[in-house]
Amino acid sequence: MHTRRSFLKGAVAATAAVAAGPTILVRDARAAGQLKILQWSHFVPAYDKWFDPWAKEWGSKHGVDVTVDHVGFADVVPRATAEVAAQSGHDIHMFLGLASAFEEHVIDLADVVTSLEKKYGKPVELARRSTYNPFTKKQFALSDMWVPDPGNYHKEVWTKIGMPNGPVTYDDLVKAAPEIKKVAPQMQIPIGVGLSQDIDSNMAVRNILWCHGGSIQDKDGNVVLNSPETLRALEYTKKLYSVGMTQAVLSWNAASNNQAFNAQETAYILNSISAYRTAQDNKLPVLENYFFTPALKGPTGIQLASEHVMSGYVVWKFSKNQDVAKEFLVALVDASRDSMLGSKLYNFPSFYGAAADPGTPPPKKQESGAAWIAAQCNKDPFGSAPADKLALLAKSLPWSTNLGYPGYANPAEGEMFDTYVITDMFAKAATGAMAPKDAMLEANTRARQIFDKWRAKKMVGGGGKDK
Amino acid sequence: MAVPAARRRRGIRRAERLLGVVMLAPALLYIVLLVAVPFLLAVFLSLTNSSAGSLEFSFVGLQNFKNVMASPVFQRALRNTFTFTLISQVTVIFLGNVLARALLKRFRGKSLARFLILMPWAAPISLATLGWLWIFDSTFSVINWLLKVAGWLGPGQWYYWLGDPTLGMVAIITVHVWRMLPFSTVILLAGLTSIPNEVHEAADLDGAGPLGKTIWITIPMMLPILTVALLFGVVFTFTDMSVVYLLTRGGPYNSTHVLASLAFQDGVLGGDVGRGASVAIFLLPVLVILAVTMLRVSRRAEVA
Repeated sequence: MHTRRSFLKGAVAATAAVAAGPTILVRDARAAGQLKILQWSHFVPAYDKWFDPWAKEWGSKHGVDVTVDHVGFADVVPRATAEVAAQSGHDIHMFLGLASAFEEHVIDLADVVTSLEKKYGKPVELARRSTYNPFTKKQFALSDMWVPDPGNYHKEVWTKIGMPNGPVTYDDLVKAAPEIKKVAPQMQIPIGVGLSQDIDSNMAVRNILWCHGGSIQDKDGNVVLNSPETLRALEYTKKLYSVGMTQAVLSWNAASNNQAFNAQETAYILNSISAYRTAQDNKLPVLENYFFTPALKGPTGIQLASEHVMSGYVVWKFSKNQDVAKEFLVALVDASRDSMLGSKLYNFPSFYGAAADPGTPPPKKQESGAAWIAAQCNKDPFGSAPADKLALLAKSLPWSTNLGYPGYANPAEGEMFDTYVITDMFAKAATGAMAPKDAMLEANTRARQIFDKWRAKKMVGGGGKDK
Repeated sequence: MAVPAARRRRGIRRAERLLGVVMLAPALLYIVLLVAVPFLLAVFLSLTNSSAGSLEFSFVGLQNFKNVMASPVFQRALRNTFTFTLISQVTVIFLGNVLARALLKRFRGKSLARFLILMPWAAPISLATLGWLWIFDSTFSVINWLLKVAGWLGPGQWYYWLGDPTLGMVAIITVHVWRMLPFSTVILLAGLTSIPNEVHEAADLDGAGPLGKTIWITIPMMLPILTVALLFGVVFTFTDMSVVYLLTRGGPYNSTHVLASLAFQDGVLGGDVGRGASVAIFLLPVLVILAVTMLRVSRRAEVA
């Protein structure tokens, strides 16, 4: 017999079930569609302001709960190490160029890259060489963007010494340094090329090495650091240091060259446009004299600069959301135009075709994307004066290359980079702490140890022609 | 009635033993999990080619040790570790003594002085080092600007605190001394206040001067606590990498590394866990000797 009380009980229970039902369903759906991303804190803070809401919005459109965590660039690798050790953490981890050491713990993204290639054409070669291991044939990462690394020069100072367009060759730096001292004696460091244990110096010394014909490895992964070309690069740097640099460059961190240039304490640095954007944001006096040059040419005629930053997104094997992660990475490449604008032209798309005009047929997408990129650089939408100040960046691809040139950015190159073997070699030779030849032999010994270790792990090729 | 009483006593004793075990368990567990296991793991890893991005490895025997011992960077770091520890600890004990003696006296603003002396101990090292980073910055150093204004540095003269191996070590030692000084001061102050006044008064009656009192009374009575402070400081300094890493990152050209920071660079940043572990393990003999000495001294102090 039903009483009024039992009816009321039943009604309340039914109402509660109806009310709770969607919540339970939603919770289940959310649990199934979570995505955790570890991302660097971008050198241009405006990018993070674009990326975080964009990622959240993508998540809400696809029923995925997206979490984005940021770490400083120096913590990207230690954090990955910790997550691999714990076999848990984020689903997607963003590396800055050197994800190769973690290849064993990431899924193969060949299918993602293949589908993107079908849509947009091939990625730029330096992106491929930073995310693919030809030895294991694994696409261990996906790059959505890379960053050119031009020279930054002080227009007024260089005009006074008769080089209004800045230096063109490495030899120009040596010739200019004494002149800069004369016309701008207040500048502490005429030529601000870092020789310290930091990321920018790591790039800078590689540029010098490559442009003098040297390299750490050859295209097949043999260690070839011990060479007359390396010696020539070291002797050049010793000369440059003696005429145009001070011990300050031995202690620089990633921000120091920006700060020195923005404070007008140096007339030339190697950097991306992040320092320039800082000068713009803060309306610094240096702004009107802040100009850029392409990579410098060495005595060999080689004109190369390392990419300044190269994204390498990996999806961990321990991730339970691998398919969602792949979808997200495809969407990130799709958003290449917004990404470039969000970073104030700091990020360049790794897939030029992804920046094409909507509706462009696939075979024409790369061309269209390149034209759009050039249009942004030729008329900077972020207030450069003159508006074409960044035009040279549109032509930076031919003189930009990957870490590991002329080979691939393999784990051995990564360890060389992270333990500063090459910057130390240059700094020791430049300061006279060691004779150039001794510094080279010391670095070569360490390089061979590092490469041999990774070869034993079957992740790096070469070895038969080590010098 | 005697049998139940004996049983009760045995029961209480058992319960006390159990309570003792329960009370000790968290500390023992903590030491085993966070000290013993990582330590044994480090010894194990130093004999392998383990890398940061991999869970697989193979044994390489003493190869890592052979490689690091032949490395000039390691040799320099080993020398630096001893230099860093010795100079900083001698300075800390000396300055700690001076401050502790000053704080024994009555003076106006003593509470403020105590607060200021203790502040470096409470400040997070990463935050404090950022401040020091600007003080020693090679381009914008506050010290240099002051010296320039004071006329000490002429045109073209500049100290590159973090760009010169010797000045780099000076900067590292300075920050470390600044950081360790409060602890040493507090320990020494506790030691000084524990010396009974009667002993000093008796010495006064015997005609002892300040030097005599220091040599014959203060130092011997302070010795156990002084040794503990010193040994604690030495162990702490030997194993610390934070100041080096935050200030110079081991530069210029890896010349200011200590073993702990080099182990971090090789093992964590460079991903060569085996090599990093072998660098870190080099501290083991020194730390064992120090730990044994420390335990003996503290036991002697306890007995005294």
